[in-house]
Amino acid sequence: MLKFYLNAEFCKLNGFVNYNTMGFYKLTVNGQLHSVEADPDTPLLWVLRDNLGLTGTKFSCGIAQCGACTVQINGDPVRSCVMPVSSAINSKIVTIEGLSIANSHPVQKAWIEEQVPQCGYCHSGQIMAAAALLEKNANPSDEEIHNGMRGVLCRCGTYPRVMKAIRKASAKISKS
Amino acid sequence: MKTTTNLPRRDFIKLSAISGAFLAVGFVPLGEKESKIVNLSKTATPGNELNPFVFIGTDGKVVLYNHRPEMGQGTFQAIPMIIAEELEVDINDIEIRQSPADEHKYGDQMVVGSRSIRNNFNNMRKMGAAAREMLMQAAAKRFHSDVSECEAKNGYITHVSSGRKISYGVLVRDASELEPSNSPALKDPSQFSVIGKSVPRMDIPLKTNGEAKFGIDHQVEGMLYASVERSPFFAGRVIDYFGEKALQVPGVKYIFKTSRDVWGKKREAVAVLANSYWAAVKGRKALEIMWHNGDLKNWTTEEIWIDYYKASKEEGTTFEEKGDFENIFDKSANKIEAYYETPYQAHAPMEPMNAMVSVTEDKIEFWGSTQNPNGIRSHLAEKFGMHPDKIIINYTFMGGGFGRRSLMDVVDEVADLSAQAGVPVKVIWTREDDIGQGPFRACSLNHLRGSINAEGNAECLDHKIICQDIRNQSGYGKSPSSGITGGVITEYEIPNFRLNGVLRKHHIPITYWRSVYHSTNCFAHESFIDEMAHEAGKDPLDFRLVMLKNHYRYSQVLKLVAEKSDWYKTPDENTGRGVAIVERSGSFVALVAEVKRIEGKIVPYKFTVAIDCGIVINPDTVVAQSEGCVVMGLTAAYKSAITIEEGRVAQTNFDKFKLMELYETPQVNVHIVQSNEAPEGVGEAALPPTAPALTNAIFSLTGKRIRRLPFKLDEV
Ligand code: FES
Ligand code: FES
Repeated sequence: MLKFYLNAEFCKLNGFVNYNTMGFYKLTVNGQLHSVEADPDTPLLWVLRDNLGLTGTKFSCGIAQCGACTVQINGDPVRSCVMPVSSAINSKIVTIEGLSIANSHPVQKAWIEEQVPQCGYCHSGQIMAAAALLEKNANPSDEEIHNGMRGVLCRCGTYPRVMKAIRKASAKISKS
Repeated sequence: MKTTTNLPRRDFIKLSAISGAFLAVGFVPLGEKESKIVNLSKTATPGNELNPFVFIGTDGKVVLYNHRPEMGQGTFQAIPMIIAEELEVDINDIEIRQSPADEHKYGDQMVVGSRSIRNNFNNMRKMGAAAREMLMQAAAKRFHSDVSECEAKNGYITHVSSGRKISYGVLVRDASELEPSNSPALKDPSQFSVIGKSVPRMDIPLKTNGEAKFGIDHQVEGMLYASVERSPFFAGRVIDYFGEKALQVPGVKYIFKTSRDVWGKKREAVAVLANSYWAAVKGRKALEIMWHNGDLKNWTTEEIWIDYYKASKEEGTTFEEKGDFENIFDKSANKIEAYYETPYQAHAPMEPMNAMVSVTEDKIEFWGSTQNPNGIRSHLAEKFGMHPDKIIINYTFMGGGFGRRSLMDVVDEVADLSAQAGVPVKVIWTREDDIGQGPFRACSLNHLRGSINAEGNAECLDHKIICQDIRNQSGYGKSPSSGITGGVITEYEIPNFRLNGVLRKHHIPITYWRSVYHSTNCFAHESFIDEMAHEAGKDPLDFRLVMLKNHYRYSQVLKLVAEKSDWYKTPDENTGRGVAIVERSGSFVALVAEVKRIEGKIVPYKFTVAIDCGIVINPDTVVAQSEGCVVMGLTAAYKSAITIEEGRVAQTNFDKFKLMELYETPQVNVHIVQSNEAPEGVGEAALPPTAPALTNAIFSLTGKRIRRLPFKLDEV
């Protein structure tokens, strides 16, 4: 909340009309610093998508129940649909667009090798969640994979391949 | 292998038309499966879209078009694969483009009922072969030889005896002067080198790095976002609304009353238009609306079940009959009877419903994810009295469809908003909108009666379906939807058989849902066949095999699944197996579910699928679709359903409409029958038998018969 008041204060001092709601936020996304103007309660998801044009991060439930909007904040998987932009400042945000150059992350490679996506809509979130999991635990057990991927939904039913791909990515990471 | 997908690139061919020669071959559709192949190379004029299937530039670059919208079913890759096979080009060297929506050049483009491959296989082969023959004729002329002395391979024509080679690119100018044959020589299927291979899907790399564009991702200059408050009650009307507070939300521009057409009924709503999605949502929360809730405000699903049970006593319409059920059943000594209930279901594709439309005086443009691009064009043409040629449809990848994206309601509403606002408007439904509004899969009651004769064989079977009819939601007197009896296996050799239905009308909007009526009927049918087998003291798989001994394709998948699932090996005391079969969209599936009791809990453990879908284009897609069908079938079996309480849908979001997750996904093993039959649909086929195979397995392990879906797995 403190950040919110500071920003409202900043706007007021600078003579912005909607000083009581809109604010400017500095966000570090995929290694780049951006300044965005938004309502402080705007979910990070919509700032990424609408303000920054990073549409790889998807909306599906809006209540932290499906994982489609998963991004990494300081390495942790976060549901960006319920994180207000005002809480996302001063942290390192990584979206699917910034995970690697040219699909080179081991998780992306495994996803392509196992031909995981069907419609593909859930897979930005699946990949970001899996990458965060393997970042912390390069060699997870099946149960650890299950727990790490809780709440990341796929209506097309690609789970059997998600499982195979995570195991494969884990093997790739462990080898290198 | 390259892809440009996203939105069709309209300028590419126009530019090429001006700058140099090329070979472009397309077709004129003549009905569902027929077409006339045409040379489009000379028809390019600025502003005129060529819209071909095959495009080859003088540099030898080959572009193949997929004309079927892609929602995960894999036709994006499969259609060009079929063309490439006959065209003799390396599938790794081509570029795939999504074609524009143009029914004059691409025919039917609606992706429903698993039809893309089965309706287009021959056309696409002829397309590739005709283009190849044009190139061969051009080459033969250069070789001063006969076409029969030439061979096409990997983008080159070779003069066999001399070994001389010319690339397609070099031949393009000459070939573009020729007329394509409409009966080109097709390859012998034994010579296929692309068809039948698990070629990696070209759209997948776009879906692992965020590059793929879905409808929801599209933005245009000057657009506004809409969030729409629709009546939570079916058929609710807006008495009045106050938007003052909503208009104070920064970014909110307009409040409009609007409506959308759902199967001929007007569903009223109030929309907030704003310069960002979030502002529209906030504005919507600040709306005050007075609803007239119609007569349905106290409705519950229970009342529908009461009505259906009452209706089950009616005679209904007989769809099929053989022998003399009534008399023989009456006299039969060994009879059984059961009711099965399957609930309403939401489609809930992960990409929420959305659409963007710009309506102006002289042009309408649509952007979004749809299963039915040409349907949108006709709908908007009629709604606004505009010539279809002035309506541009830009369709994208879909984040799932499952039938929901074949309807026009979402577009109908947002087009009205754009017309009111005078700017492009994009509507994004919230998940709550999606789950609360429907249309849904119909719920249905199935009443089955059967008898076993003294020899332990099936003697009588009467299957009665009580449900709503999708097509007849808005009026009486029309014939029932075809497919309403889908999933009932009329091929079973049962001497006295009757198949009938009582079609009820309710205000709950319903629509096509992955595999449609197969998903509800098959559960009842294949559960009851299991009950009959147990009553007869027979092995349920053998019981089926005996009744299908004269049906080669059913028998074949049954035998294959028996072998692959170790059906005849007696399982340990904590394992149970169940079988179910179906024919859906031309494909035959037999499925064995294996459940285990682990620490006192029933766990769906392994699903073995045997599928005969005729000639297979991309085997990996058949496997993927079957895996997906099992997961979606299980979700509908024991995870979630739509129920109505106090006139409104009780579920709101994924917290109450639960989807299957990774941790609870069983093993799925898919086995494909080698076949030379015509290719059939694979996107839905493995879904219907999933639930009955599971509940049959639970019965074999626990002796508990589940006749109502969804059931609670932890209460079994
Ligand atoms: S959209 Fe954020 S978890 Fe579903
Ligand atoms: S691939 Fe379609 S929702 Fe996961």
